[in-house]
Amino acid sequence: MITIAGNYQLAGRSEMHPASAKVYDTGHIIIHHENGEQIMDSWPDDYKFSDVIPGLAVDLQLADGALFIPNDNRFRWPQLTSNNLLAEWLESHWLVVFSSILIVPLFMWSMINYVLPGAAHAAVAFLPDSIAESMGQQTLYILDKTQLDPTELSPEQQQRVTKTWQRISDELELPTDKYQLHFRKFDLGANAMALPDGSIIVTDDIVTLMADNPDALLAVLLHEVGHVEHKHSLKMVAQTTATTMLFAMMFGDIDGAGELILGAGTGLLQTAFSRDMEREADEFSHKNLPKFNISPAAFADAMTLLLSSHSSTEEENAEDSEGDIRSTLSHWLQYLSSHPETQARIESAKQAGDERQRESNDSAD
Amino acid sequence: MENGSSLDRTDTIKFSGQSGEYFKLWFVNMFLSIITLGIYSAWAKVRDTQYMYGHTQVDGQSFRFLATPMQILKGRIVAVVIFILYMVLSQINPIIGIVMALGFLVAMPWLIIQGIKFSMRMTAYRNVRFSFEGTYGGVIVHFLLLPILGAITLYLAMPWVVQQIQQYLNNNITYGGKHFEQKSSAGQYYIAALFSLGIALLGGALIAGLGGAAIASAPTGPSIGLVIVGLAAFALFGIVTAVYQSIIYNHIMKTLSIENVVSFDAEMKTIPFAVLMLTNLLLIIVTFGLAIPVVKIRTARYIASVTKVTIKPGIDELINTVEGSDSAFGEEAAGLFDTDLSIV
Repeated sequence: MITIAGNYQLAGRSEMHPASAKVYDTGHIIIHHENGEQIMDSWPDDYKFSDVIPGLAVDLQLADGALFIPNDNRFRWPQLTSNNLLAEWLESHWLVVFSSILIVPLFMWSMINYVLPGAAHAAVAFLPDSIAESMGQQTLYILDKTQLDPTELSPEQQQRVTKTWQRISDELELPTDKYQLHFRKFDLGANAMALPDGSIIVTDDIVTLMADNPDALLAVLLHEVGHVEHKHSLKMVAQTTATTMLFAMMFGDIDGAGELILGAGTGLLQTAFSRDMEREADEFSHKNLPKFNISPAAFADAMTLLLSSHSSTEEENAEDSEGDIRSTLSHWLQYLSSHPETQARIESAKQAGDERQRESNDSAD
Repeated sequence: MENGSSLDRTDTIKFSGQSGEYFKLWFVNMFLSIITLGIYSAWAKVRDTQYMYGHTQVDGQSFRFLATPMQILKGRIVAVVIFILYMVLSQINPIIGIVMALGFLVAMPWLIIQGIKFSMRMTAYRNVRFSFEGTYGGVIVHFLLLPILGAITLYLAMPWVVQQIQQYLNNNITYGGKHFEQKSSAGQYYIAALFSLGIALLGGALIAGLGGAAIASAPTGPSIGLVIVGLAAFALFGIVTAVYQSIIYNHIMKTLSIENVVSFDAEMKTIPFAVLMLTNLLLIIVTFGLAIPVVKIRTARYIASVTKVTIKPGIDELINTVEGSDSAFGEEAAGLFDTDLSIV
């Protein structure tokens, strides 16, 4: 048996008295008033303990709401289980602090690289097509109101592009009710965009730029089809939402850290996701070009043309060919490129072209 | 008053939290929150608040935070679900997004009340809980209409507006069913505003004048002069804030009471408070935020040490009037959508 000095706090009222508690090995606790009078006689089913917090006394909470508060802040009741004491143990060891410094970055890295993209892709499969349709229509509407103007191309010019588009549509057996080609004038230069519903927008400048090189334009269009086929816009929304939520959940409660990490972290991840998606769309283009008897090198030509046209106009912003959601997301994107470096894209297209060359040589042999 | 005054007990608030101890608690809780994807943060919040409350003693008795992690977790889950719906729906259709944002705006005053009410009801001292009795209309007046009035009078009415807001908040806090009474005067808020504005202008002019001269005449080039000017501006910022805060804090404490239960007094001094704030800011910057727990302990210890509480005999007869089954949703939703209540 041990005796603990403390204060007895009456249930639901401010009145309190100095008292002492006798704790028996059976868990039986008897509380006496300072004047010797017995106040409370309690068995383990009728009491519990407050949370164990470093540096604080652990209150005995009696069934009626009364408290017994030990005077000694370091006193820990013998009835406390290791579960009760675990949090305090973790919170009072520097070893735990230092090991968490190692674990957190590893954990974050695997979440960002594997868990989040996986979850986002899985979620997108469950989204009905109507969501993509509605997103696409909204985006086109907003773009038309803000950045795009009606095309100024001649019917003949449009005709040529439509023919190229028809080749793609026929060859890849694209559903015609989904995929739509739109011509628009865009002040920021040569560009093509894919909207989630399958609307593909080509700007007047890119048509003019690639007028003499229809293969390059076809490569670009394939790239945009790649975006739609891979549901990139939806994945981006899912991934952004998931990341923002994850970060808000993980860091939201930490003073000041929340805003900082949310702002910078999601912004940086955004560009990383975006780059991966561009790469995927590029690969789609490389893979499908041979079906039209065109070498993937045509994609390299397209990139070279775009690069020269943009560096001549110095319009870095127009690099962002998915004008839809991404461009409105945050100004971070303007500082950190959302596309893989153009030179690298040209290289990988050329490589794909060379491989294709070798393959056809092999089959010719 | 006469007969009870001999039994009044006056002492400063005692804060016994330790920086090292709290740092470990804070850091480990942050770690557990991260690796559980935020689920543990409900437990973390409870433990964190229990630590700060438990180490704050008035008249030998500490405060208690009574919320359970599940209450906070539930509130958080509801808030997260609404937030996800908002993010997804507004991406799909901006109109739905706008409608939801408007709905949130309408619910805002209610959320503010629920948030304050929750944190008050979960706070107990000597087994008696606090509560908050603000109303939707009252919140609209004090958090929407009055600030607008303050702005359209070119901020001339702002000190009065701030005084009204703080008075409204404090007057609606109850302890054991008894209302706190705040008898602050707008005059003190004007004095605080004018004082800090005057010091800001004077100091600013001084720094600009002397700093400009120093930079111009410095033989080693302008960089050292610039650093000195920067540091001086930093110190001035601290002093100006401290002047305002200390005048207001002392005034609020001196005019706050519950009849025959408790009254307060405070002697916050400008220079020590300015030094505290500036060193806090430096600590946070230098440690990239890791010093936040240390800063919280330092600040709590300082504020406790300058605040005197007089306990009156009526305190022994209080009866708890509050049952503790509120949801934490108001507070959590307000927190997640980033609407803080800090006025000053």
